[in-house]
Amino acid sequence: MTHTLHRQGTRESLSRDYPLVAVMAHGINDKGGGPKLGKFLEICWRHGPVNLGDMKQGSVFTYNAEKIYKNVSDTTIVECVFDDLNKVEAVLRDLKKEDLGVPVVVSGLTDKVRECCQKAGLEIHTVAQSLGVWGDTSRLPSKDILEITTMCGHAMVSSSLIEMMIEDIKKGTITPEKAAEKLAKPCECGIFNPTRAAELLAKAAAK
Amino acid sequence: MRIDPEVCIACEVCVPYCPMEAITMKDDVAVIDEDECVDCAVCLKSGVCPVDCIIFEPAPWPRSLRTTFSDPRTEHKETKIAGRGTEEMKTNDVTGRFKRGWVGMGCEFGRPGIGTRFRDVDKVAQVLAKQGAEFEPKNPVTILMEDKKAGKLRKDVLNEKVLSAIIECIFPIEKFKDIIDALKEVAKQVDTVFSVEVINRADPDGSYPLRKLLDETGIPCYINGKQNVGLGRPLANV
Repeated sequence: MTHTLHRQGTRESLSRDYPLVAVMAHGINDKGGGPKLGKFLEICWRHGPVNLGDMKQGSVFTYNAEKIYKNVSDTTIVECVFDDLNKVEAVLRDLKKEDLGVPVVVSGLTDKVRECCQKAGLEIHTVAQSLGVWGDTSRLPSKDILEITTMCGHAMVSSSLIEMMIEDIKKGTITPEKAAEKLAKPCECGIFNPTRAAELLAKAAAK
Repeated sequence: MRIDPEVCIACEVCVPYCPMEAITMKDDVAVIDEDECVDCAVCLKSGVCPVDCIIFEPAPWPRSLRTTFSDPRTEHKETKIAGRGTEEMKTNDVTGRFKRGWVGMGCEFGRPGIGTRFRDVDKVAQVLAKQGAEFEPKNPVTILMEDKKAGKLRKDVLNEKVLSAIIECIFPIEKFKDIIDALKEVAKQVDTVFSVEVINRADPDGSYPLRKLLDETGIPCYINGKQNVGLGRPLANV
């Protein structure tokens, strides 16, 4: 699964978009892993992410954060997003100290994430790189829309809903921030970045 | 998914929520095109229908695959993982799935936001198999293969449409250029899109050998990526 890898955008915009994902390795260290994944989420929550969630329970846009991290199962995948790399560094430092044994991946600008890991005293183990979209790309929506839809890797946020939000912002019936919150709800994992979405929506509506 | 025409009040609120644009208005009620619908249940879970007329009934095989591959809350029975049903490189610090000297590849069909029939997945999997790629056994697409060496999917699933499905494989780094060339050719023959991911074990300074090959071949890659930060235990030093 690669639901945080293929996010699209400019360097400037992506500099405020860092998703973290944690999952136990099935058949190796997953037994009793639920509370550890919960602790991972609790640490993330302490540092002020813009979104947080559990694939099996939902995100903070539909549930209470404390309820989520206290009820994590062994076989789920948990995630959160930060719009500030300094916060990611602080989370990584805490995770290293806590030594939960939970596998963690950090997505975002490759060079910046590497730098951040070095500062936190961590050694990158494995790298995944996106080679973009192949096949019949004529079927894709516009770049403006893709920069928002790709923030939910499971494609729960539809292009039509984004287009509707942009139109509503133009009409003045909704703010970019409220529109972004509306878009964050279908993304149940909690990896959609609502602050970045609000910026992108405002930009698209101003065109 | 279906909409009860006796209850629908034609408010149209559900229409933009469908990621597959499978909901349309017909004769003053909202209708779901069942062939295009991937049973992701986004329309239902959005809770926007004021009269609760959106209905989900679990489907029999092979249509049941639509929910498993399209609703991230659903756990794939065989791999015990929700979402797309694979851990991929997220747990590589523990599983050691991707070793030094090898490249991992994930071709995620239908993404972003287009959806895919398994017949396109089958087409590409067979090409990768011919190039000597080895498919990940703990992956829901591999489990659908009737011939894993040939990358051939079972016939009864080919017409099923899902939001996304990932072919996941490994091959020695020396095969990278050939695999990419073959992928470029077969990409012209599919009716959907697929997002391509490559995975490589990092060196202690965070760099990775595949990067040089990417630069040499001029294959563009995104400025953002995903990095396993080595916090998993027991640590696989492969």
